Amino acid sequence: MKRALYFLSLLLLVSFVAVGCGGEKKEEKKAEAPKATGIKIGSLSPLTGQYAADGNDIKNGVLAAIEVMNPEMGPLGPVTLQAEDTSCDPRQSVAAANKLINEKVTAVIGAYCSSATIPAAEPLMAAKIFMITPASTNEKVTESGHKFMYRTCGRDDDQSKAAVKFIQEFLKGKTVYLVDDKTTYSQGLADNVEKLAVAAGLKVLGHEHVNQGDKDFSAVLTKVKAAKPDVFYVSLQNSAAAAPMLIQIARMGVKTKILAQDAVYHPQLMELAKKDAEGVFLTFGYTDKETPSYKKFADAYKKLGEPGAYSAYAYDSAVAYLKAVKAAGGTDPVKVKAELDKLDFAGASKQIKYKENGDSGSNYVIQVVKDGKFENFWNPENGQLYKK
Amino acid sequence: MEVFLQQLVNGITLGGVYALVALGYTMVYGIIQLINFAHGEIFAAGGYMGVILISWMVAQGYPPFVCLGVALVLAMGYCALLAMAVEKLVYKPLRSSSRLSVLLSALGMSIFLQNGLMLTQGVYDRAYPGEMVQGGFEIGGAVVSYMQVVIVGITVVLLVGLNFLVFKTRIGKAMRATAQDKTMSALVGINSSRIISLTFAIGAALACAAGIMVGMYYGSVRYDMGFVLGVKAFSAAVLGGIGNITGAMLGGLLIGMIEVFAAGYISSEYKDVFAFIILIGVLYFMPTGIMGENVDDTRV
Repeated sequence: MKRALYFLSLLLLVSFVAVGCGGEKKEEKKAEAPKATGIKIGSLSPLTGQYAADGNDIKNGVLAAIEVMNPEMGPLGPVTLQAEDTSCDPRQSVAAANKLINEKVTAVIGAYCSSATIPAAEPLMAAKIFMITPASTNEKVTESGHKFMYRTCGRDDDQSKAAVKFIQEFLKGKTVYLVDDKTTYSQGLADNVEKLAVAAGLKVLGHEHVNQGDKDFSAVLTKVKAAKPDVFYVSLQNSAAAAPMLIQIARMGVKTKILAQDAVYHPQLMELAKKDAEGVFLTFGYTDKETPSYKKFADAYKKLGEPGAYSAYAYDSAVAYLKAVKAAGGTDPVKVKAELDKLDFAGASKQIKYKENGDSGSNYVIQVVKDGKFENFWNPENGQLYKK
Repeated sequence: MEVFLQQLVNGITLGGVYALVALGYTMVYGIIQLINFAHGEIFAAGGYMGVILISWMVAQGYPPFVCLGVALVLAMGYCALLAMAVEKLVYKPLRSSSRLSVLLSALGMSIFLQNGLMLTQGVYDRAYPGEMVQGGFEIGGAVVSYMQVVIVGITVVLLVGLNFLVFKTRIGKAMRATAQDKTMSALVGINSSRIISLTFAIGAALACAAGIMVGMYYGSVRYDMGFVLGVKAFSAAVLGGIGNITGAMLGGLLIGMIEVFAAGYISSEYKDVFAFIILIGVLYFMPTGIMGENVDDTRV
């Protein structure tokens, strides 16, 4: 009797497992059904960890693009997104890229950190999957000659030119002190600025490196304070790292002009550093927020929250790919590439037209934090201040 | 000289925070020989509780010092309860099993708490409301902000209070007795289970205060902030001699100083490297840390 009871309970347990499996399989089939006919794109960005704010902006930008483009795709649709987390870590990024390859995506929007984009590109390119980065500005991203690699944002060599021009022509600075946090992007950019500054006859008083994730910059700032530079160039990987630095700069009474870059550009900066962010200059791509295409993007983005620094670039990257797919009438990589190279349209962030190497050109301008908002400040093209 | 003075001020602030967190590691180790890896997460939970309470009270319009004081007390109570719950649910059932299984469950608890914070509080940095304490003064070219004064002040009060509790009260005596010999102290009528719980609670309350002060000092908290600080505070406890209260205070201060001076005079890139080189060097010549592990009178 007892034995029968045990057996019965075992049977029950097993059948539960079997039912569970069966249920899952059905769900999988349901999910697979549209996959066979639709377009599946992937996104790579840091969804957790210290760069999560920027990473989720990218994912949301792609979601907004899918919402806008879905009705236009006709029989090719629907478009679905598989968002993967890189944590801005090279190893995790490659693993996530491989996962997307197995999921049979045809294009990947991402990644955020250049140090994650460069290694993830290798398996994606081998699998003939498009990679369009909305945010990785390091020069090397498009210099490996990959056929399916595109970039919607600007390049760091251009960004550093804009920065040095601003230091020299507008701030009339003679001495510079630099700090970076040793990532492919942040150190690459700071090195570029240092090189250009020296070439332009500026005096570099020091170039410090801090560790990623550091919050205490008192030691570096003590040195900066003693060196009394005209301009302090801050190249950190994101706004959450820059905010404590700005707070400590104000607290220690370091009197210098501060110039930061595109990774620090994020509404989170003012939220975290509050009044200590006032008057900080940053280099970022110029975006006209009054154009109809930006407004279309902003409308689609509304329910996802406030657009971050790279939301519009992620949106444009996904829109560009989907436009090319539509023109090519399918996802065949060679045909889509031909269409992608022909594209020339007004995106939310800027005019999107990819060049031979996949770049889309830079349009860096100097922005300033004023009354808790970013404002266009100075145009390095003509050396003019923006009018309010 | 200016740089030296400034780094001294910064080092004391940072070292005090390390010392507060290191005490939790050292006290728990002293009493049940467990390295409580979940301690760093309690520190982060304290930082979050602080930001929640202070934001709410600032919004109600209370003056900053009232907000800070009340938030500090309430959050410390919360962390103490959290740590006691962890101890009762996770460590106590394993007390008679091997040390390794308790250690592994501590690691698991650390991951559980960190992910819990991430899920409930989000992945973004959370800002502390305004600067609670503003301004500062200058001595010999070094800027001392009132925020640093407040942090060092609170740290000193907590450390003196802890010393009094451990060395001058009956509870402290019971703690020291339990640390020396659990069976013997139980025989003379000390409820060792309660004393162990209490030790967890005190350590957690100190870490919680450190969490709030770090949050205020750097302006924000994030769910994973406990990891790096936990590692440094643990090194501080080992440097001072794990299990030794005075050692943990000294170790914390030393790690803070080494870090800041290495960054100031050598390179901020390698400040952690220098902190750990000194740690290895000290342990090579003094394997039980600076103050020694087995000074029975100061061990809890």
